[in-house]
Amino acid sequence: MVRPMLRLIVRRMLLMVLTALAVSALLFFSVTKWLGSPASMMLGQDASPQAIAALNAKYGFGQPAITQYLHWLGGALRGDLGRSYTTQQSVAQAIAIRLPVTLELTTWSVTLAVIAAVVCNTVPVARTPLRRIVTAVNLVGITVPNFMLGISLIFLLSVQLELLPSTGWVPWSDGMGAHLMHMIMPVATLSSYYFGVFSIVYRAEYQDVIKRPFIGVARAKGLNEWRVAFRHAAPNAILPVITFVGISVGQLTGGAVVTETIFSMPGTGRLFVASIEGRDFPVMLAIGMLIVVGVVLMNLLADVAYTIANPQIRHES
Amino acid sequence: MRIGRSIGAAVIAAIAVVALAAPGLAPQDPYRSGVAMLDLPSATHWLGTDDLGRDVLSRMIYGARASLAIGIGAAAVAMLIGVPIGLVAGTMRGRVDLALVALIDLFIALPGLVLALIITVMVGANLRNLIIVLGAVMWPPIARLVRGQALAVREAVFVEAARATGGTQVWIIRHHIWPGVLPVVAAQFSISVSFAIFTSASLSFLGLGIPPPAADWGGMVRAGYDYLAINPWMSLAPGAAVSLTVMGFYVIGTSFK
Repeated sequence: MVRPMLRLIVRRMLLMVLTALAVSALLFFSVTKWLGSPASMMLGQDASPQAIAALNAKYGFGQPAITQYLHWLGGALRGDLGRSYTTQQSVAQAIAIRLPVTLELTTWSVTLAVIAAVVCNTVPVARTPLRRIVTAVNLVGITVPNFMLGISLIFLLSVQLELLPSTGWVPWSDGMGAHLMHMIMPVATLSSYYFGVFSIVYRAEYQDVIKRPFIGVARAKGLNEWRVAFRHAAPNAILPVITFVGISVGQLTGGAVVTETIFSMPGTGRLFVASIEGRDFPVMLAIGMLIVVGVVLMNLLADVAYTIANPQIRHES
Repeated sequence: MRIGRSIGAAVIAAIAVVALAAPGLAPQDPYRSGVAMLDLPSATHWLGTDDLGRDVLSRMIYGARASLAIGIGAAAVAMLIGVPIGLVAGTMRGRVDLALVALIDLFIALPGLVLALIITVMVGANLRNLIIVLGAVMWPPIARLVRGQALAVREAVFVEAARATGGTQVWIIRHHIWPGVLPVVAAQFSISVSFAIFTSASLSFLGLGIPPPAADWGGMVRAGYDYLAINPWMSLAPGAAVSLTVMGFYVIGTSFK
């Protein structure tokens, strides 16, 4: 039982390393070609040729791309991701202070979305208005872009009703109330998309499960519909959602980028956009890698969780 | 679902008409700035004016062109890459299939918007590049879907018969697998269009899409965001247009599944 799981983990880890290497090399080589001279960019347009040459020597910009890549890779493995071209700050440090914001935003959003999706689609009140509302919210969540949702919320709740602060972010240390007030709209924005996706996946499975014989047995025993739905059907329908949480974290990073930009949150997503706009290659590369590793890692976690939750899979593999 | 499909089709038809007839429909020149800046809706400017005094409604009407062009173009590019890969993988099986599936798995793990962000900045944001880049990041799910369908169709008796009578792989794919896969591909095309419009609008909103002064919905939302308290229509109207278009294509696509 333990061995297939171990094999799965090892295989996924290998895939992760391969993906990370491939993506970093791809990014590195295409970007070094496209970027031109980072030295002249760091020093501005009026830099003297001597100053550029000195900086080239210091950072090794003059060396062939493959040497630079291996150098970067060596540093990255030791946790040294280089320095930002624009702020000279250590990249690892810049990411470390912003990562908690992104992680908190995504954790809240995914958790809420999963709970809401499961509860809304399990409540045994078929063909009532609630069902229609859930379907409508699903569609809105999936098709209305994050930026539109976010801006509508700001317009409604901040500009019109003046209930919530429109943008910005307050750390926990400045008070839990203020912190949570600033989190409401970003979390609502980001989780609505995931609610839609999870809801569709969960409902398809749920409608399949509810037709199985053991549900009939549970009903025949005289259990009420609520107990049948939540105690017997839901746990059996939740499996595909677990896998999907892993898969969707990929798109989630994209959603987090937009959401952090709308609400001016100091997270990695916004740093990423800023690094792209400012051609700040070390920052861009590091966050790009972080996202890729995160996506593969989440997929792995989802697979492991799935295997634990479903003994059948364990025996098959 | 049938009602949804009709509504979706009607919405998309209306937007297509608006895009095609933009020069005739737009009350004013979408690029001409005026002295009346950030005006609220009035008889002359139905949705008011933006920060440069341009007519918001006219810009929205022209914006339909960019959105539809990117959506349909990118979906077509993604299909051109994904469908052949899926067909070949699903029909051939064996080593070819394994290699192609590995390729699909490698790319499917990568977040599309993030990838599109990086590539777009590298190659430069314009209509043609955006179509190619979005198409290039959207193909893996299509390839996976087509492969699954092809795997199912190839087990059919008529495929076995074709093989028994000496049909070549190309013949079988062309005449037996492809027609079986086509309905799914058509439905997926509509969903891909909606996804491409969604993603390109997000890129524009992040300031990395079609550069200004082009009339582009995502870019308009971004520009209007700073003036939400003065003329909210500047941002909300193009945002609603994006949402409606994405919803229309999505509903049409899913109604066939």
